[in-house]
Parts: sequence; structure tokens; C-alpha cells
Amino acid sequence: MSKNGPLALCYHALFVAFMLAPIVVVVCVAFTPEGYLSFPTDHWSLRWFYAIGRYPEFISAFWRSLWLGALSSAIAVGFSVPAALAIARYRFAGRDAMTALFMSPLMIPHVVLGIAFLRFFTEIGLGGTFVGLVLAHIVIVLPFALRLTLASAVGLDRAIEHAAVSLGASEATVLRRITLPLIVPGLMSGWALAFINSFDEVTMTVFIAAPGTETLPVRMFLYIQDNIDPLVTSVSACVIAITVVALVALDRAYGLERLLIGRSVDAR
Amino acid sequence: MSFLALESLTKRFGSHPAVDGLSLAVEQGEFVSLLGPSGCGKTTTLQMIAGFVEPTSGAIRLAGRDLLAVKPARRGLGIVFQSYALFPHMTVGENVSFGLEMQGVASGERARRVAETLELVGLRALAGRFPRQLSGGQQQRVALARALVIQPQILLLDEPLSNLDAKLREEMQIELRQIQRRVGTTTILVTHDQAEAMALSDRLVVMNHGRVEQIAPPHEAYERPATAFVASFLGKTNLLDGASVRPEKIQFAGRGLAGRVRARVFQGNHWLYQVETGSGLVTVIRQNTGEPMPAEGEAVCLAWNSSPPQAKLGEVSAQQTEGS
Ligand SMILES: Nc1ncnc2c1ncn2[C@@H]1O[C@H](COP(=O)(O)OP(=O)(O)O)[C@@H](O)[C@H]1O
Ligand SMILES: [Mg+2]
Repeated sequence: MSKNGPLALCYHALFVAFMLAPIVVVVCVAFTPEGYLSFPTDHWSLRWFYAIGRYPEFISAFWRSLWLGALSSAIAVGFSVPAALAIARYRFAGRDAMTALFMSPLMIPHVVLGIAFLRFFTEIGLGGTFVGLVLAHIVIVLPFALRLTLASAVGLDRAIEHAAVSLGASEATVLRRITLPLIVPGLMSGWALAFINSFDEVTMTVFIAAPGTETLPVRMFLYIQDNIDPLVTSVSACVIAITVVALVALDRAYGLERLLIGRSVDAR
Repeated sequence: MSFLALESLTKRFGSHPAVDGLSLAVEQGEFVSLLGPSGCGKTTTLQMIAGFVEPTSGAIRLAGRDLLAVKPARRGLGIVFQSYALFPHMTVGENVSFGLEMQGVASGERARRVAETLELVGLRALAGRFPRQLSGGQQQRVALARALVIQPQILLLDEPLSNLDAKLREEMQIELRQIQRRVGTTTILVTHDQAEAMALSDRLVVMNHGRVEQIAPPHEAYERPATAFVASFLGKTNLLDGASVRPEKIQFAGRGLAGRVRARVFQGNHWLYQVETGSGLVTVIRQNTGEPMPAEGEAVCLAWNSSPPQAKLGEVSAQQTEGS
């Protein structure tokens, strides 16, 4: 491996600083003793962390976001498997159209989707419900789930499945014992990416969430419309802390690179 | 009646015939090789027997039964793929056990047969390893064990040795032949390596452009090639008076075809000569007996036994080699 030159090192350092600066600033501001957004200079305080306790709707919104992300991502991955296998293996009429359709939520602005879903859900009686949120989130995370599922389906050696068939395995057995286990890394990556996108989503969700079904980002967004205090920074700091812990735990247990790039188990 | 019969088997991809009217009868216990250059339709033929490619026309019969009516999973064939296609998420033992599990063999019996088969390929100690922890040669053996453990009616091998280095390949050739003799499974090998095919097989099926050029035992195909393509594909050859004459059949003599030695190469157990004659450049191989041999630039005469009639190459075969 070649060494990085001083210029490259400098560039990397600046790049990392640029990426991390907003996070560092938010976390620091969360420790301010003041009643407004300010960078703590001489005094640090946990005041705004205690304050979260007085707003149980932030806690429940957090759990709701977690469930919403987990559920919609899992369902999106579930849909992706048959779609990815079909797209990866067969040349059929409408194949390109199908791929384009599944990928289209990436192209449509979330604000447009939000208005459309608001109208649609009100029409069919799902307005402001958790079910409605799940359905809408499935649509927006599907492209991420499908992308990574597709990548692992394309990388699968057909001969491995043929070997199983020649040994007497039925199609269902091949799927359960061979195909699925081999694309699991891709499914996990797809799920993780989909989850992150769902957890983060505010532009669309703000239209379709009702007071009882607000997600965490929506709750924060609505809060800062009426308040100027640093409560949202302490909430952000908590989310960042949870993310860091989750990432470290995942890295220890599974390997982050494997998760986010979706390497298969037999990669050498 | 033969054990396995391919009858006018044809496969077209679009209008391009990958396999064109292939007929072949294989006896029980026989080791037959499909030999030919890359793209001549060997894999397609094997895949049609396995059931993964559907023939455009023709029939396949196994022990009198119509094999095309049987689903691939029910054909009971053992297949070794070029890429080995081991199950990467299963151990060696689990890989070999898979086929028995599918047959519903009880677990005690299964363990016994897995151990027995791994013993046969010399891998008993590695049953707990994963495929990625094995060398290429070992993976090859696992693939063979996995195919053999179900006691297949036919063993199909698609270029099984082509991913191994030359030395290992030779060892595996000998071992493959021994194993096949011991278990007696009817075997069809696909290869583009004529030395491998000749070393292993009872009979060769030499193919070119999807067609059969010759079906014969290795020695016969080498000595009496049916076409110019077979003659040149199976080894060095000279076309003299429209007949194929192998370089090792030509001697330096007092009289015969006159020529001049253009080059000679010493190769240990033999000498390789190129001699310029009135009939063009002739390759001659002489065994090294320790006697003095003609030097470069020397005038020589070449003699050989007039070839048996089978080796006369007609117009048709000359045409067939054009595209190759
Ligand atoms: N699925 C396919 N679609 C189109 N053409 C194919 C397909 N499989 C094989 N062919 C063509 O059929 C011919 C024979 O291929 P193959 O049987 O793989 O040859 P070999 O194994 O002798 O190298 C080749 O020209 C190849 O390009
Ligand atoms: Mg091939």
C-alpha cells in the first residue's frame, strides 16, 4: 500500500472535520445551561437532558420511529427478495419497467409523495394512522432494500443452485437452504440502509403523521417551529449516542463493512 | 440396448446451433469424454443431460426411460461443476450430506456414508472445514464426493480439473480414474484438454461446432482420426498425400521423401525436428536412444508406413476444419 502524501493527509483531515463538525457542535450545544441555542463556554449543564423527561412525546416518538423503520424496512426487504431474484435471473417482458417502477421513489421528491399520501390515506381512511406511515415508508425505502438485495442476487453463482437441484432438492428447499442463506448478507445491508432512511425521513412523514403518530424527526421539527430552546439538541445528542453504541455493537458482532457493503459469507 | 442414449440431440440459441444432431450411446460403467475446443457445445450437451437446458429437439434415454420427462431434481445424476459450486455456508460434511438428506436417508446411515465417501476421496479429516478453507484440489474432491455419495446413475464432470495447476491436474487425473474404476459409475467428462481426455476415457467424442467429428477409443482416434480436425486436435500431425501421419511415425531413412533439417530441438526423451520437404514443412519426433542424430541443415530422407485406410481424409473433413 502506498503512503498518503502530506497534501492528501491534510485533505482527509479537513474532510473528516467537515463531516464531523455539525455533530460536534450539536452535541456541545446540548450541554448549554442557557435557555437558547448557545455554545457552552465556561459552564456545562445536563439541564436539557433532564428536560427530555418532561416531554414523554419525544420518548414515544423515538420508539415509534424505531418500530416504523424496523417494520417498513423488513417488509421492503421481504418484497425485494422475489423481485430481485426475478430481475437478476430472467429476461421477461416488463422487466425494465418493473425495475424502474421499484426505483422510482428515489426520483420523486418526498414532499410530493407526502401530499399524495396525505390525500390518498384520507380517502381510504388511513389518514394519520401508524399503518399509513408503514405503507408510505415501505414505498420510500424499497429502492434501497432492492438495490442491495439485487446486488447479492446477481452475484449468486447459479451453478450452486443447480448443484442442489441435481442432488434432489425441490425449488422450495433450494430457496430455503441455499439461495436465502447466501443472499442474507445483502438482505441485512438492504435492511440497514432502508432503516436509516426511514428513521431519518421527515419531509414526507410530516404530511401524513398525526398528533398520535409523530415520528421523532417530525416531533423535533414541529417543536422547533414553536420553541427556541436547546431541547432538540439534547435529543439529537441522545440519538447520536445511541447510534454510536449500535454501530460499535454491530461492528463487533458482524462487521460494519460487511453490513454496509453486503459482502457474502464466502467472499475471500 | 445402451445405458444412456442421446438421439439426434439439438440445441439452438436463437438460430445458432450450439449442439447439432448429436447421437451417442454410452454403456453402463463406461467413461466417455466430450472433447472439443471452447464453444463447441460440450457444456450445453451436459446441461441437457442434467436437465438445466432444454433440447430444441432430440431425445435422451436412460436405461430405456425417457429422461427429458424427468425433472432435474429427480434424475439422480451426480454433477461436478467447473466452479465446483460447493455450498459456501456449509461444512465439507454438510455439503456431502446434503444429497442424502434430500433422499431422506436416516441420520446414522447418512453419517456413515458421508464418512465412507470422504474416505474415498481422501478428505475424511477435513469434514468440519468450510469450502473457503480448502485448496482448489481439496474443493475439487469435495465436489466429487458430494456427487458420488448419492450413488448417481451417471456422473457428469464439466471441466473438473481445469482450475488446478498442471502438476495437481495430473495427480487428480490418475485419482479420478481410480475412483471411477472403484465405484464403477458411468461417467461423462467434458474437457477441452486432449491429453486429459485420452488419459481418462474409454471412449472419446470429439466435437467441433456442435457436431460430432468422431466417436472412438482414444488410441483409435489418435491412430486413425476420422477427420483432419480430429487429427490436429488430438496432437501434432503432418498431412502427407492427404493422410494424417503422426510425427513419431516418421523415420530418417536411406531413401524416401527428401528434405533438409530446418530446426531440431532436444526434449530429453525425444528430439523434435522440422524438416523442409517438397510436400511442405514436416514435423518429426524421434526417441532419444543416445545415437547421433541428423544436425540442422543436414539433408535427410523421411520414410513412414503407408497409413491404414481410415486415416484417408476426405474433402468433407478438410472443409470442416476451416473454421476452427
Ligand atoms: N444460454 C445461452 N444463450 C446463448 N448462447 C449460448 C448459451 N449457452 C451457450 N451458448 C452458446 O452455445 C455455444 C456452445 O456453448 P458451450 O456448450 O458452453 O460450449 P463449451 O462448453 O464446449 O465451451 C457457444 O457458442 C455459446 O456461446
Ligand atoms: Mg464449457
